[in-house]
Amino acid sequence: MNNSKVYDDRVDTDSEIDLRQVLTLISRSFGFVKGVKGLFICKLLMALVSILPALAVPWILKIIVDQVIMQQPFNTAEVPFPPFMMPFINMIHDLSPPEIMFSVTALFLIALILFGLRAPAAEQAQEIAQAKGFDAATQSEQALSSGGSNTSGLWGLLELSLSIRMTQRLGNALRARLMGRLTHLEMTTLDEQRIGDSIYRVMYDAPLMPEIIYRIAINPLLLIITAALSIYLLQFSYGEVTPELVWLAASLIPLTLLVTAPFSALARRIHQKNRASGATTTNRMEESLDNIAAVQALGGLDKESVRFEKSSEESFWRHRLTVALDLILIVIRTCATWIVMAIGFILITDDVIDGTLSLGDYAVLSGMMFMLSENAAAIGLYWIELQKNVAAVRRVFFFIDYTTETDGEYRSIKPIKKRIHLKDVSYSYPDGRVALKQVNLELTLDNLVAVVGPTGAGKTTLAYLLPGFIRPSEGEIFFDDQKFSQLNTKDIRQQVTYVFQEHMLLSSSIRENLLLSNPDATVNEMIEACRISGAMEFIDLLPDGIDTPVGKGGDTLSVGQKQRLSIARGLLRGTPVVVLDEPTAALDPKTERKMMAALKESSKSRLMVIIAHRLSTIREADQIVFLEEGRIVEVGEHDALMAKPNGRYRRFVELQAVQ
Amino acid sequence: MTNLDTKEALDIRAIFPLVWRCWPYYRPQLKHILTYIGCTILIGALFFSFWFVADDLIQNKIGVGEPLQPLQAQLLMLDKSYLTGDDESKRLSDSQRKQVRAKVVILTLTFVFVVFIGSSPLNYYQVWIFQRVNQKLRVEMLSKAEHLSLKHHSFSRTGDAMYRIYQDSATITNVLQWLVTMPLRVMGVIIIGCITLIFFSAWFALPIFFSIILSGYVMRKLLPVIRQKSRQSREYNSDLTSRIQENLAAVRVIKASGAEDIMISRFKKESQNALDAAFEMRFYNSVLLLLSILIGMGSFIIAEYFMATWAITEKATSLGGIVALVGYATWNIGAYQTASRQGEQTCLQAWELSHIFSVAQDLTVGLKRAFHLLDLEPEVTEPSQPKIFPVSIQSIQFESVYFNYQKDNPVLAGIDLSATVGSVTAIVGGTGSGKSTLMSLLLRLYDPDHGNILVNGINLKEMSRETIKSNVAIALQQNVLFALSISDNIRYGRDDLSEKDVHNAAKIACADGFIADMPEGFSTELGERGGKLSTGQRQRLSIARAVLRDTPILILDEPTASLDAETEQRVMKNLAIWGRDRIVFIITHRLSTIRSADQIAFLDKGKIVEAGTHNQLMAQLGPYSDFVTAEVGNTPTETNYE
Repeated sequence: MNNSKVYDDRVDTDSEIDLRQVLTLISRSFGFVKGVKGLFICKLLMALVSILPALAVPWILKIIVDQVIMQQPFNTAEVPFPPFMMPFINMIHDLSPPEIMFSVTALFLIALILFGLRAPAAEQAQEIAQAKGFDAATQSEQALSSGGSNTSGLWGLLELSLSIRMTQRLGNALRARLMGRLTHLEMTTLDEQRIGDSIYRVMYDAPLMPEIIYRIAINPLLLIITAALSIYLLQFSYGEVTPELVWLAASLIPLTLLVTAPFSALARRIHQKNRASGATTTNRMEESLDNIAAVQALGGLDKESVRFEKSSEESFWRHRLTVALDLILIVIRTCATWIVMAIGFILITDDVIDGTLSLGDYAVLSGMMFMLSENAAAIGLYWIELQKNVAAVRRVFFFIDYTTETDGEYRSIKPIKKRIHLKDVSYSYPDGRVALKQVNLELTLDNLVAVVGPTGAGKTTLAYLLPGFIRPSEGEIFFDDQKFSQLNTKDIRQQVTYVFQEHMLLSSSIRENLLLSNPDATVNEMIEACRISGAMEFIDLLPDGIDTPVGKGGDTLSVGQKQRLSIARGLLRGTPVVVLDEPTAALDPKTERKMMAALKESSKSRLMVIIAHRLSTIREADQIVFLEEGRIVEVGEHDALMAKPNGRYRRFVELQAVQ
Repeated sequence: MTNLDTKEALDIRAIFPLVWRCWPYYRPQLKHILTYIGCTILIGALFFSFWFVADDLIQNKIGVGEPLQPLQAQLLMLDKSYLTGDDESKRLSDSQRKQVRAKVVILTLTFVFVVFIGSSPLNYYQVWIFQRVNQKLRVEMLSKAEHLSLKHHSFSRTGDAMYRIYQDSATITNVLQWLVTMPLRVMGVIIIGCITLIFFSAWFALPIFFSIILSGYVMRKLLPVIRQKSRQSREYNSDLTSRIQENLAAVRVIKASGAEDIMISRFKKESQNALDAAFEMRFYNSVLLLLSILIGMGSFIIAEYFMATWAITEKATSLGGIVALVGYATWNIGAYQTASRQGEQTCLQAWELSHIFSVAQDLTVGLKRAFHLLDLEPEVTEPSQPKIFPVSIQSIQFESVYFNYQKDNPVLAGIDLSATVGSVTAIVGGTGSGKSTLMSLLLRLYDPDHGNILVNGINLKEMSRETIKSNVAIALQQNVLFALSISDNIRYGRDDLSEKDVHNAAKIACADGFIADMPEGFSTELGERGGKLSTGQRQRLSIARAVLRDTPILILDEPTASLDAETEQRVMKNLAIWGRDRIVFIITHRLSTIRSADQIAFLDKGKIVEAGTHNQLMAQLGPYSDFVTAEVGNTPTETNYE
């Protein structure tokens, strides 16, 4: 696993993606098609059928002009109708012009109901079904439920529903996967990762993946088939009369590709920056809202507003850049196609004036040319627009690829029975700061152990090692005789519970918060855990007991109450090892004493590791581990350590006790 | 089909007040909007009239060889030989037709290049205008959300506010387009189309009328369903945003509890809900559009049948010979093409209209959600004529202060307390006794339900929150750090202070030592929520932040809980010197800190049960002395400690 991957989460400064990377990202996106195989095949088949009705329209219009209005007889010798039109032509061959018009009208009405012939395609309608804003984030949300069809009518409705479902399943598979990986990131990575950025990646980047499938697999295929069919039809009917025109029509697609392709690298860069700045905006907002108490208390309101305003402005500006690029491309492309169309117009009218072609032929030919030029424009644009999706998906795959705790080959764990042994363990942070040096320690499973030391001594780092939040840079930890380095992080957490000092509760009921750690816990088990932590005292007083909801992040409880609830949640898991970070810091002495007694009682059957500063807490421990500057300086019972005349621990205690 | 909550159902009239509310955001851009609309109309009119003329030229003149109208000849700069003259049945020669064609091609290309290229920056202009509108709303919403009282924030989810600010606010950009310009345009097209068609034949009024009535009926039936689905979709998405935000903010607990899989399965469920709602909304939308297409296009196709048959019989058009520029006196091929295009356009407006209406549903839902946030009244209201904070502080008094977060659950039940300048007051009490809440009132994060807080005898309610905040500093128990550099974190909210001030404050808080050890010292960037630092280090940054503000009132909420004894002593000593001409409150459990206070207020169940110095209170043998005994009582061997 590559751990050296450097990234800047604030702005993805590396906006260069080379072509190989683009292709890799595209092929990885295709990996997700496996999950929607059935839908994919249905969608493809339906889409293939849906291009056909549109091909017939010019020919029917030709009949209206030539045979109805101009009242000419069918002349299939010079300009033959395509084969699929023949059954209909044979049917109406001998009818009078008004009768022909009647049949044509009937045909149109049937085709309208079935395929929505001559009506705007369902895809076009869907583009703007929900109001969206003028920045990348709001537009992405629409993308997650986009779908389309070249037809309308009943067929279009079915195809549309089908493809929306497919888009949603693809997008959802990716974002659920990303969410899973994000929660499994290593602790050191999570410390650096901004929440707003993560939200952006899950909510607004991931939804752009399905479009890649459409833009690479389905749409170009359809367009090319349509174009090929139209050119074939042109050749079939007009190849004899105006071969130049067929060539001209065929040149439209390569021409537009040629003029737009050079912009793709630029497009990628612009889109990448656009998304990065959107993520920054999200982040600013999340940070100030989630820490609102601090923002208000410190008088940071104006500062936060200005920060948000600036980054929001920046993200709008970045989005405008993408609009500008699109406009430039449209202008270039339109100019190119219009010139081709003008040449086509001259060729066609030449023949109309000569009398070789009828006015109906003019309708067919100009219709065909117009359709082809639209197709060519679309194909040229796909590659450019794809850059947006690639830029977004890269941000998603970045975290899917990022090393997580679950990576690697591990063997499963046997429950810890006797002891944990740390042998020559050192740990240094990714930025090089050394937190632990050569730690050797033996902990047995019927002890209450206090980890003590001045701030910055490495207490938390030592405690983080036990549940595998971090892994030793050097040395080895043994659970009984199992090597820590060979164990799966998930398994380790089945054996070790860690209770944080910050008390993160979810905005749901107390019961739900407790069940989070052990979904199978019974009410009795919950009450027992709350009793040990002393949380029962205040839960009993709440109107709905354990079903009382707690506000955002548990804000309606006091800090001490939250702390006791967090401890209860940790104990509820019933693991052989429990690590508590400053469990008594916010408690008054009376509550503290009760809790310590209960914890000591429950540590008879397990290992309880406590990080603590308060003497009253420390004294209760069976074993005190005293750390200084990343090293274990002294280990032993309180009385034994106090007996050492020049002991470091003794000095530490005396400082705390004596004014 | 619908189990619509009737109370929530807003009818189409509810749109107008919403549009009106958007006006202040559009107002500053009015100049730009008018310019934009003017340009758009101009270009639209140019294109319309261009095709009206070009159609006739291409079909009748080039295609069939009819002579030109006088005006057409002038426009194309062609001589008299191209005109009808006296001979009604005159036809243009092949070379003349080619001449006309050459002129038309040149004219068209010039027109397209000039007008098209000239008009494309309009699109960019439009994006820019709407972004400015959205920016104003967004910033206002966030700032409003931030100003709401903490009471509100305790009960609402961060993700919900985010969704409103981000997604719901974006709907404002669509108001002008979908509720004003598009309907106007559609009405314009319908009117022009109807007039043109009726010029061709009065009979066309019939299918137009028919399709408008029928699609009106369909809309009445379907729009409420769409609106309900749209609201659902937005609510579910907002829940989902909350879920992600919470999961990520609490990710460490989730990891520690091994609850990753539970969280993911909940995420998947909520995500699916959101997707289902989005799907249903789009489905009903498509059904509506399909029906209006069938109605509109159906009546057009039938009308087209008549146009074609009339063209066969060369029936006279109602247009007659009025318009000199076009030659559609009778139904001919050009007339058919023009009328048919007009008819198609007009009938498609039925589709456009229902489209506009369905988008309007989503717009109203989104706007309502956005404005809801703006409409929330802050519980802490600013006085209309705020008094200034006393220049030299003398005293602070709490007079029978009551406060609760939820009804029937009082947190403070009659607090009386006073503190004078130069004193340190320790607030002591069991967990949940209301200590932190009491201090939040001093910051006016909340207002008391009853009772007053007075500074030098002036009620806190008569001062603006802004003034209070610049005179009261607090080091919070939950040490919130932002993803900024260390120095910016200390300076947070006070960018006017110099680097030297920051260093001094860090020194008083004993934070200078570990900051110097960081790779980039004061400019080291902190990770999410200050994750890189230990609790003790964060605590000291918090203290430094409060000290730096140099305010007459300082509140320290459990400032030293995570500091070791040595550091605590140093910090307290520094603070004692620093606080000589100020009023300091300390919430704490540590005896060594409590004992050094000038006054101790002992809180229990929202009341101050005892107040006085350590020695006084110990002599009273009341709750405080019980508390102290509990702390030290179990250590009889260390009497020197007490």
